[in-house]
Amino acid sequence: MTPTTVPADSAAWDALIEPDRVHGSLYTDPAIFDAEMERIWYRTWVYVGHESEVPQPNDYVVKSIGPQPIIMSRDKQGEIHLLLNRCTHRANLVCDAAKGNSSAFRCPYHGWTFSNTGKLLGYPFNSGYGGTEEKRNLGLGRVARVASYQGFVFGSFAEEGPTLEEHLGGATDAFDRLVELSPTGKLDISAGWLQHEAKANWKMLVENETDGYHPQFVHASIFSVAKSGIGDLYGEKSTAVSRDLGGGHTENDLRPEFRRIDEPMGWFGTTADRLPEYVEHLQAARGPERAREIMIDGAPHVMVYPNLFIAEIQLFVIQPLAVDRTVQHVTAIQYEGEPQLNRRMLQQTIGSVGPAGLLLADDTEMYERNQRGVHARTPEWLVLKRGTHRERRDGDGFTIGDATDEVPQRAIWRHYRELMEAGDGDGAVAPPAVPTANGSVR
Amino acid sequence: MSERRERSLPLGEAAAGDTPVELVSEFAAVSLVVDRDGNGPRLRIEDLKTGQVGFLDPLELETLAWLPEGALHRFLDPSFHRWREERERG
Repeated sequence: MTPTTVPADSAAWDALIEPDRVHGSLYTDPAIFDAEMERIWYRTWVYVGHESEVPQPNDYVVKSIGPQPIIMSRDKQGEIHLLLNRCTHRANLVCDAAKGNSSAFRCPYHGWTFSNTGKLLGYPFNSGYGGTEEKRNLGLGRVARVASYQGFVFGSFAEEGPTLEEHLGGATDAFDRLVELSPTGKLDISAGWLQHEAKANWKMLVENETDGYHPQFVHASIFSVAKSGIGDLYGEKSTAVSRDLGGGHTENDLRPEFRRIDEPMGWFGTTADRLPEYVEHLQAARGPERAREIMIDGAPHVMVYPNLFIAEIQLFVIQPLAVDRTVQHVTAIQYEGEPQLNRRMLQQTIGSVGPAGLLLADDTEMYERNQRGVHARTPEWLVLKRGTHRERRDGDGFTIGDATDEVPQRAIWRHYRELMEAGDGDGAVAPPAVPTANGSVR
Repeated sequence: MSERRERSLPLGEAAAGDTPVELVSEFAAVSLVVDRDGNGPRLRIEDLKTGQVGFLDPLELETLAWLPEGALHRFLDPSFHRWREERERG
């Protein structure tokens, strides 16, 4: 693959991104990767963690925004902070444990000590600094903006820009649907995180999460072994749709199939009579009629750009570390107060994406083969034409295609190009356009 | 606790109810046990990294429970006492 440099203008981007194909160097060029970090990861809203991961005052967890090490802490007043996990003295990681409870963090290198809000409290032998005045300017680095939606905490390094809800746009519905499945309206993201490293570019993972074309091939073995009907959801006869939610957010909407099959909890591969406690709680919370609809529709399958994949029963968080190195953090979604349902969610998660799981291993093999393949000198392009001729608008004005179409991939690259073309400016990126029901864009 | 012992037991022999509890984070490791050597109970805190021992009586503990946010910050400054040149202590 011919090395390139970061395009300086729109015409130069034309040479790399077309509406239905993209140039392979975008997956292999370190200069492109560096620009992506600045223009996408350190500017837009990026998912960091869930409020339930720091339930108590002084709880903290170690997180990331791409290669940036982040501490997500909850202070004694309950406010959540996103701090850079880097001592302001000589740059050591201040926190190493995955999680803990502490009002203050002490760097293990020279003992500099910070409050969990980031304030520098002091350092050993302070006479060596001739006073304490400079402490004020030596607090931990901070992610400029922190906001949450339905308990999901996002951070943005840009001081200004769209609000989180503007950024999420059409994807807010996915979060609303997810929490509606919980009788209390709350999730409990406490099952722990698996980390899978792939020797591949992060965009291959993002594109694959809502790729409805690959499951019947890549995952044929697990569908066969598990006697799963999931594969049929992604076939030519499926009534499921692929959707561009705007802002780079994409969806495989399986609800049309689930509604056709009309089996409560069918989305979860089971039946309502096997989860009597959950069904009772959901009916009490939502009413029998709405509870049935919720149990038919199931949980969303939505890729929230650039790094949060809500995969029905799991959350995936994508962490790019280098142009050809990406970590996927995975956890089972758990619903507050629902041990019966949660146990099955955990078991299914272990079976599909655990250390010996069959699903993510399939995908990771594809990512790594893809990364090797994309280095080939010719052809230079990846083709994303599938379903171009049958794109259409849904009732909400979103562009949709058939279940196996590449509507999501084209949408991801359109948004990618907008962000990258905006350059390294002042961080003011316009919020994604949200379509209206008549197909216009507001 | 109505029972009052005549002497403090070594930690390993502590009676039921006075079993030491270890609290460990990535920043500190301490062992806590109720000490009954005196005329009233008090909390014995041992820094497991250095063996340093400190005590807090019920009034001191109650005071800690009522501390406003940030009141411990000056004590968490390593230079407050522990890592401070002798000539600076006053």
